[in-house]
Amino acid sequence: MSGVGEEEENAAELKIGDEFLKAKCLMNCEVSLILEHKYEQLQLVSEDPMNQVSQVFEKSLQYVKRFSRYKNPDAVRQVREILSRHQLTEFELCVLGNLCPETAEEAVAMVPSLKTKGRAHSDEAIEKMLNDLSLVKRFE
Amino acid sequence: MFFHMVLERNMQLHPRFFGRSLRENLVSKLMKDVEGTISGRHGFVLAVTGIESIGKGLIRDGTPFVTFPVKYRCVVFRPFEGEVLEAVVTTVMQHGFFAEAGPLQLFVSNHEMQDGMEYQAGDIPNYTSSDASVRIQKDCEVLLKITTVSVVATEIFCLGSIKGKYLGLLNDRA
Repeated sequence: MSGVGEEEENAAELKIGDEFLKAKCLMNCEVSLILEHKYEQLQLVSEDPMNQVSQVFEKSLQYVKRFSRYKNPDAVRQVREILSRHQLTEFELCVLGNLCPETAEEAVAMVPSLKTKGRAHSDEAIEKMLNDLSLVKRFE
Repeated sequence: MFFHMVLERNMQLHPRFFGRSLRENLVSKLMKDVEGTISGRHGFVLAVTGIESIGKGLIRDGTPFVTFPVKYRCVVFRPFEGEVLEAVVTTVMQHGFFAEAGPLQLFVSNHEMQDGMEYQAGDIPNYTSSDASVRIQKDCEVLLKITTVSVVATEIFCLGSIKGKYLGLLNDRA
């Protein structure tokens, strides 16, 4: 980020800092489950939960609800399980889970680090992974 | 990108909040203090999801306040340069359009659009492609790549680009 003076960040090369590389990333559908749960808890103790939450929370909840590919918690677990089999970092896993590219070329355009970082994911391997992912959607 | 992280904070509490509900008071103050805040390092803090640990309280010299080091789990949203994500168009102007991705505001300049995209003024200002097959206007969903992340005080703002084969207007996906 500008003004911080640290090594240049670049998600395309997975240069996101140790703290974030080691942290757990969340897909939109996972964030949706967490924020909705929190909102429900607030509803139990307050008549007007919308007043209790920050604008940051509200906007984020709206965003993840709008851009969630999977609504069912089981489907969400399956998606993570499928993607976890393919030697991806948390960050890459979540971008793919969020955007659901249809071809290997599209996947690499969204997550350029797939083809770098010494793992050399072949196009076939990527296509197989995307195929497995699309099956979850079909049977949700 | 959304992350689930463990962060640390020194919480100050006045003794009147001690007693049986000490922990409850600490957690409630923590949530009030951090939820909805923005930092350059961690981005937007959306919600505290749990407490990892509360350390021993230390009395601050010369005051009745006690400081507790608290480790807590929370959901944050932190944008990165080079990240590809979805956003909603909010305002279309002559030099580009503004979009929102959750709590984050982004701007895509007309120099960062595909060739042939032209600004159309009017009741519903928009950007239309030369063959009229693509029209970007308010409330459209777009896929964009973050090109710059800027932090000024506690405001985070990003510049983005839709110049790329798979970027730009998102059609209705089932």
